[in-house]
Amino acid sequence: MSRGRAGEPLHVVTVCGVGMGSSLILRMTAEKALAELGVPARVEATDVSSAKSLRPDVILGQEMHMSEFAGAAPIVLEVANFIDTEALKRALEGPLREQGWLE
Amino acid sequence: MSPHLHVRVGVDVPGWQEAIRAACTPLVTAGVVEPGYVDACVDLIRRHGPYTVLAPGIALPHARPEDGVHRVGVSVVVLSFPVEFGHPENDPVDIVIAFGSPDSDQHIDLLAALAGGLAEGLADRLRAATDATEATKAIEEVIEGV
Repeated sequence: MSRGRAGEPLHVVTVCGVGMGSSLILRMTAEKALAELGVPARVEATDVSSAKSLRPDVILGQEMHMSEFAGAAPIVLEVANFIDTEALKRALEGPLREQGWLE
Repeated sequence: MSPHLHVRVGVDVPGWQEAIRAACTPLVTAGVVEPGYVDACVDLIRRHGPYTVLAPGIALPHARPEDGVHRVGVSVVVLSFPVEFGHPENDPVDIVIAFGSPDSDQHIDLLAALAGGLAEGLADRLRAATDATEATKAIEEVIEGV
């Protein structure tokens, strides 16, 4: 169960080079993973250069982009497989628990 | 208007750039994208890395609407021999799905359908297809209604 933060959903940004292909598919996978984890979330797909200014709670993307995001969000996760919901759930669980989004 | 769909199987290419060109060229021929779109797809990977290799064996190259796209289209090539894109985990690639969209919305249903299909084994059905007709059918089943 999620405690959420002042009623705000978890703000997740998925990134790729353009922000309309790979990141869109990762957005769909992330929405499914977070719904299954029971965490209310708002997920946006964007390009690498726009992601930082959104100041999200979570940034997800390929390894080659993630070095740009060190410290840009409380949770920054490398995701290799953008269509594997189960793997993403497993990767998100620990960090979400640490940050208080999951009990 | 339903998306333009083109499928080829048993395509033989020496490397990732040729794989992208093989996937994009039918979209140029069909008038879905401008010739420059193909170079834009290759340039994006040169500049930002092989992030479009979004799952083991599967690449989804594309560029921006402003790189010259007239309508939504997707072109799939199944390679005879997998090629390296330089992705740390998902190489080598043998399924290349190139697409174009004239804006940031019109392709969303198509991509959602493709992502759903890929999560449910579409790539293996494409690899097992003995000809383009069979592969086209596998994709049509997934994107039906888009």
